[in-house]
Amino acid sequence: MDLYGSKDRFDIFPEELSGRGDRSLGDTRRDSALSSKKVQRPQEVGYDLEKEVAELAKMYGLDEDREKDLEFLGGHLEKVESRRPPARTEKAASEGSIYNTSKSSSSVKDPSQSTKQQGLPDEASQGENQSKARADDEAESNIWSTGGLSSGGMSDEWNSQAVSEEEEEEEEEEDAADVFCSTCKIPIRAFDKLFGEHKDHEVAQLPSAVESEKEEIHKNMCKLEEQIAQMENVASHLEEIFITVEENFGRQEENFEVHYNDAVQVLAQKYEEQLEALGEEKRQKLEALYEQLVNCGKHLDTCKELTDETQELFLENDKAEFMKAAVTMVDRLEEFLKKEVDLELSTLPDFEERVIDVSEVEQLMNSINAIPAPCAPMINPQAPNAATGTSLRVCWGLFSDDTVECYQLCYKPVSNERHSDEQAEHTLKVKETYCTITDLLPNTQYEFWVSALNASGISPPSERAVYVTAPSPPTIKNKKIRSCENAALVCWESRDINPVDSYTVELSKLIDEENDDIITESIVGIPNCEVLIHLQPTQKYHVRVRAQNLGGSSERSEPVLIHTTGTSFYLNEDTAHPLLAILDDGFTISCDELENPECDLPVYDNSFTRCIAILGSLIPFPGKHYWEVEVEEDTEYRTGVAFENTPRHGHLGANNSSWCMRHIITPSRHKYEFLHSGMTPDIRITIPPRRIGILLDYENCRLSFFNADLAQHLYTFNSHFQHYVHPCFALETPGILRIHTGITTPPWTQK
Amino acid sequence: MALKQVSSNKCFEGFQKVFEHDSAELKCKMKFGIYLPPKAETGKCPVLYWLSGLTCTEQNFITKAGFQQAAAEHGLIVVAPDTSPRGCNIEGEDESWDFGTGAGFYVDATEDPWKTNYRMYSYVKDELPKLINANFPTDPERMSVFGHSMGGHGALILALKNPGKYKSVSAFAPICNPIQCQWGKKALGGYLGPDASKWEAYDATQLVKSYSGSRLDILIDQGKDDQFLSAGQLLPDNFIAACTERKIPVVFRLQQGYDHSYFFIASFINDHIKHHAKYLNA
Repeated sequence: MDLYGSKDRFDIFPEELSGRGDRSLGDTRRDSALSSKKVQRPQEVGYDLEKEVAELAKMYGLDEDREKDLEFLGGHLEKVESRRPPARTEKAASEGSIYNTSKSSSSVKDPSQSTKQQGLPDEASQGENQSKARADDEAESNIWSTGGLSSGGMSDEWNSQAVSEEEEEEEEEEDAADVFCSTCKIPIRAFDKLFGEHKDHEVAQLPSAVESEKEEIHKNMCKLEEQIAQMENVASHLEEIFITVEENFGRQEENFEVHYNDAVQVLAQKYEEQLEALGEEKRQKLEALYEQLVNCGKHLDTCKELTDETQELFLENDKAEFMKAAVTMVDRLEEFLKKEVDLELSTLPDFEERVIDVSEVEQLMNSINAIPAPCAPMINPQAPNAATGTSLRVCWGLFSDDTVECYQLCYKPVSNERHSDEQAEHTLKVKETYCTITDLLPNTQYEFWVSALNASGISPPSERAVYVTAPSPPTIKNKKIRSCENAALVCWESRDINPVDSYTVELSKLIDEENDDIITESIVGIPNCEVLIHLQPTQKYHVRVRAQNLGGSSERSEPVLIHTTGTSFYLNEDTAHPLLAILDDGFTISCDELENPECDLPVYDNSFTRCIAILGSLIPFPGKHYWEVEVEEDTEYRTGVAFENTPRHGHLGANNSSWCMRHIITPSRHKYEFLHSGMTPDIRITIPPRRIGILLDYENCRLSFFNADLAQHLYTFNSHFQHYVHPCFALETPGILRIHTGITTPPWTQK
Repeated sequence: MALKQVSSNKCFEGFQKVFEHDSAELKCKMKFGIYLPPKAETGKCPVLYWLSGLTCTEQNFITKAGFQQAAAEHGLIVVAPDTSPRGCNIEGEDESWDFGTGAGFYVDATEDPWKTNYRMYSYVKDELPKLINANFPTDPERMSVFGHSMGGHGALILALKNPGKYKSVSAFAPICNPIQCQWGKKALGGYLGPDASKWEAYDATQLVKSYSGSRLDILIDQGKDDQFLSAGQLLPDNFIAACTERKIPVVFRLQQGYDHSYFFIASFINDHIKHHAKYLNA
């Protein structure tokens, strides 16, 4: 896969490293390499060592100075090298990967060089290589002076990096430099700093210089790795495009082949036809000319014959004979000359004007690029959530590779009525294989079909697909919400005529009074327009509803706020006695007169007829429910709970389906009764309550009445309620009752 | 103020005990019953004082009322003292059942020979709570009082004469207006002397008329078939009327068919314990 010998590098570095690691154990090869002061290029390690040694010895023979450096090597090399291997390993690995993608000219140079060395191990090439290596040394030295190990001086190119590395190694091995001259950007011996040319230069300890350099290199490596990843991405993308191009062109080639073959065949046929027609014409013309020629010859013969006879006549000496013959001859001549000689050409030598009909070919040629009219597209069935209340996203596809310029999408609402044709049919031209149609009616079925068009024509229409728009958002019945500390009963109405599949209720628990609309809970698949939601006490919730059908879900309804601080119910107007009025706040009931003089008030099926009463609609939920009733001291009333079906013609508390507290004013005192089945205990209360607290506790089977102002317990019915009950209120004298709901159950009501 | 345990019986995970001690107020040995609910083992509990009626000792209530279960549930210590000093060798103390022994009437006597020993009002109000608070895991700030008949009278006057001292008060068939009834006239006359105006300080109905303390929530149960009701010994209507006028909240329940006995008390003891628990555990 890699043309540039990265494999060499991969293999070489570990080998070299192990060599270094084993050095203390007396690796002879390594020792010899060191002692010979080899300029060790990584690529060359695999190469014959003996030759290398010889070569290097030769090299060093030319460089006297380096001989001296050898002495320093022993002391420093070990230390320096022991630090190097980890960095080198990492470097080697990343270099290998760089080679896979990076194809810079500089990187090409080294491997080719190494290949050459290995391939042609003769002296000439050795010499060449050697000189080349030296040239490289010089070049690298230049880089040292500019890039080298100085921080930030590292070139972005791999080449200089790699070269620097090599150079660095080389330098270390030769010089055993222990400090780094920042001015000259080269490692030097400390000795030089003291006495040499670097005397006045700024220096750094070599280890720290190495560390900073490594860091810098590492940074660049990271950059390179990023680039590699990027390039790999690009490469894989290009590969995809490559495949696509191949496929597309292959298809086009086939297409061309088919169409040009057709065209060639048609042309050949035309040629045959033309040739035949031409031959026929030629034959006919020749025949006509021949005939004319023959006639001409005949005529000529006759002429010659007549001439001969005439000349013979002139030779006749006998006058009489001559005259006799002459008369006949003259007649014959006259007769002959009378005959018209047809000298005109019976046929023209030129071709008949032939119209060569190439229209068919033209069409064929055209059709090479304008492929035949497409096949009928295939319309997709409705995808989930591809609809809103007023829009639909319709998708379709093609069976074949037909070329399509655009599609013609038609739709109309599905109607059960017979005059469906009257329904407006809409047509749209669409470029894509999908279309979002807007301005539709919610929760309505639409029929869609689509045809494909190109220059050659229009396809047959697809099958018809029925899509349905999402429903309209429902409307929560705000005034019909019932709730308690642990639950809420929410109901709503659909705004659509057509039924929807289900509803989803979304709950948002409001935290910290903020209008926090994060959905904390969803209840899906609700078939009816009503749901009982379990909630946590003393919280605030926003409740929203969505309607759902095949097409998707509607927008959310307007939110309703539910406080789970206490029990909230509403008054069921259907049950109200005709003389009982509910004031605007919805929770104050009043009665102005006990008898209606006209006595013809409307009475509903469900309303109380005798007792001027009304039922509340309490949430059907176990647990505790508390509410309060504010009363006037001089008003007679009954209040408590009753089953939903408590008799409408009786008095509350007079039957076994209602439990209530009754206030009666006697001439001597306020009398209080706690009625169930018409029975009451004998209880005297010294302070007439103004605000009655009522605690319904299903779990403990009790219904308690309190003087809420005093937190005074008045009476408790102990009854196991077989069904859910509803609050009930009745007025027995003109007056008003104010009902308070949503109150936290006071602690003093607990048992 | 050394306590001597007379008996101890485990009851509803707590203990019903009887102690004896030398009373400084009454100058005699006195016994009292105390119920320690299970909660008393781990923490301080409110104390509910029960005052028994005529002829009773500390035993009647603890053996007949069946209050222990409710007291255990609500975590109340219930203390039931005796109804009078005993063994004081006062002449005439044992002559009748409605005066002297077993009929202390929860007053501090001012007349000889009763004034030395018959100081049940002070005993119940001061000495006994001090003793209880010193020896049991109580919350001295939270105490209530209730009683039956003469004890009902005692509970009402203790609450009305000491506004704020008791968190709540209730009574079973209390003697509501002793200055108007035979029992009261005899006892009050005997202990306090013939001056009827002095009696008013121990009359619940009279005390209500001048009560202006913290809010009281009074619960009274009365058997409708109580012979002492019809005999005019109890006179709850007078008390109700006074409370209505003074706007003292009372729930008075006239219980159909019940008499004056501990069977009546046992029937409604839970309601009373709950009534007190509401205020003591608030």
